[in-house]
Amino acid sequence: MNALDISSITFSYEGATVRALQNVSLTVADGRIQALLGPNGAGKSTLMRIVTGQMRDYSGGVSVYGTKMPDRGALLSIGYAPQPISLYTSLTARENLRFFGAMAGLSDEQIALRTENLLERIGLTDHADEQVATYSGGMQRRLNLAAALLHSPKLLLLDEPTVGVDPQSRNRIYDTLVELNAAGMTILLSTHIMEEAQRLCSSVTLVDKGEVIFDGPMSGIGDLEKFFLEKTGRGLRDD
Amino acid sequence: MLILLRDKQTVLLLFLMPVALIFFLSLAMEGVWADKLTGRKIQLVIQNESKSPKANLLEEKIRSNKLIEEVARPAGMDDDKLFAEGRAHAIIIIPKGFDDSEKPVEMYFDPVIDAGYKIATRSLIISLTVEVVMGIDNLETVVAGLVTEKKKPNKEFPTPLQQNVPAYAIFAMFFIAIPMSVGFLKEKKDGTLQRLFTYPVNTNLVILGKIVPYYIINVFQFILMMLVGVYVMSHIISFSFNLGEHRWHMVPVTIVVAAATTGYGVLVAAFAKTTEQASTLAATGAILMAVFGGIMMPHVLMPLMMKKLAMISPMYWAHQAYLDIFLRDASFNMILPRLIILTVFAGICFYIAGRRVKWI
Repeated sequence: MNALDISSITFSYEGATVRALQNVSLTVADGRIQALLGPNGAGKSTLMRIVTGQMRDYSGGVSVYGTKMPDRGALLSIGYAPQPISLYTSLTARENLRFFGAMAGLSDEQIALRTENLLERIGLTDHADEQVATYSGGMQRRLNLAAALLHSPKLLLLDEPTVGVDPQSRNRIYDTLVELNAAGMTILLSTHIMEEAQRLCSSVTLVDKGEVIFDGPMSGIGDLEKFFLEKTGRGLRDD
Repeated sequence: MLILLRDKQTVLLLFLMPVALIFFLSLAMEGVWADKLTGRKIQLVIQNESKSPKANLLEEKIRSNKLIEEVARPAGMDDDKLFAEGRAHAIIIIPKGFDDSEKPVEMYFDPVIDAGYKIATRSLIISLTVEVVMGIDNLETVVAGLVTEKKKPNKEFPTPLQQNVPAYAIFAMFFIAIPMSVGFLKEKKDGTLQRLFTYPVNTNLVILGKIVPYYIINVFQFILMMLVGVYVMSHIISFSFNLGEHRWHMVPVTIVVAAATTGYGVLVAAFAKTTEQASTLAATGAILMAVFGGIMMPHVLMPLMMKKLAMISPMYWAHQAYLDIFLRDASFNMILPRLIILTVFAGICFYIAGRRVKWI
């Protein structure tokens, strides 16, 4: 069974003249780390928001482990780390995780246990009781990822999880993702860092102007950045 | 709730602002109340130039009147300086020749004296002069048989505390719209709100979770202001704070007022596009509602036109509901229409916001 099946998704933002997604189909096989690449505005974040149930007004279908979305129960099998640092900066790391754990319906015991494990894994145990506002960009990114992992999802959607972080934090995130994947977690990774995609992912889906323009294994690509530019062109994407 | 409480400056401001407003404005208005509503004595310089028996009688009648406080003219001080230094409101001169009706009593008023004072002083001097000239012992008693003042029961002017404590508590409660709308927009901008919707939680529950903490803060604001009014301010200024016979009616009123204020906050959040816009819109709206609603200027002192205009402000209905309780010992049925209007206001706010706001 595929972790994620997206079939013929078409979506437009309210008042927009151009469709954000146009007949997009892709699959993410269970146990894989798959890259979702594309220039700015290609529709990667929109696709992730549709999968996570934030947008409903689309045509086409989304299935997560065979369950047709939107489905409340199936949402729990998804972990989502959005591109912006979506955390309560006036709260501490521990308070953030407690809150998001409660939102996911975890018991107090589960929250306590998983919070400590995750804080350890992302290297924030010593700063767990400090307000997130005092964290560096890298620490915030790591916590942003931890909040997505708290309810032990089977499918992890990451929207540029390493943007703006130092090599140390980036490598800690890479290690965490590799460990999670080895433990059976499926990951769909949206990124602009080609080395990252090539290092972590076994397959790649390339999206441009709301359409899938390539979907295949990473192995035969060679230089991913060159491939990316060949497929999407060198023109600037400021729209 | 924790997120809101972590913003210590905002929470502190929400509680300190009305306390400061109540404190300073009650002190400031103490004088206005004494002057306008409870009748401060009129300060007069009486110059008896005649010294005849009739003139002396008139001087005595003026001096002994309960509305009059005679002040002495300092040596060498002319009228202009007397008024400029605020030593007297008026000067009454009983001239030589008053007995023979050759010269009338002269009145000089401070040019900036309140018109009401001027009329009252003039009427008083005229009636006292008529008493002396006509040989009537007490004109007021004679007139009482012809004209009498009838007071409506339970219709009193509020004391500065009865006016200001609920007024600025309501004002501060409406200011909750600022942190509420700014917080909402900030959560939307940084994606935390969107993140909540990726969990299998009921949307209405999430929305309620965003509103209820502000509602609770509102209720606590009112409770604190009342405690300040009853236990602190009434000891500082010379006016008492009578809560009326049915003080427990404050509970339903506060519940409804807090709904109206949070509704206003949601409405601002729905219309504002940026946090700057939200804070400006919320503050401007609250100040305008206060100006119109009898918060900054007591409704009883407003001209008729403004009294009618006040009704467009939800703060007016909220304030009047509290004044009903404090001044008029209002039954629940008496305050019910005001509660219905506030509930309708809250309902409209929530409805419009619900239609317009994009939670994601």
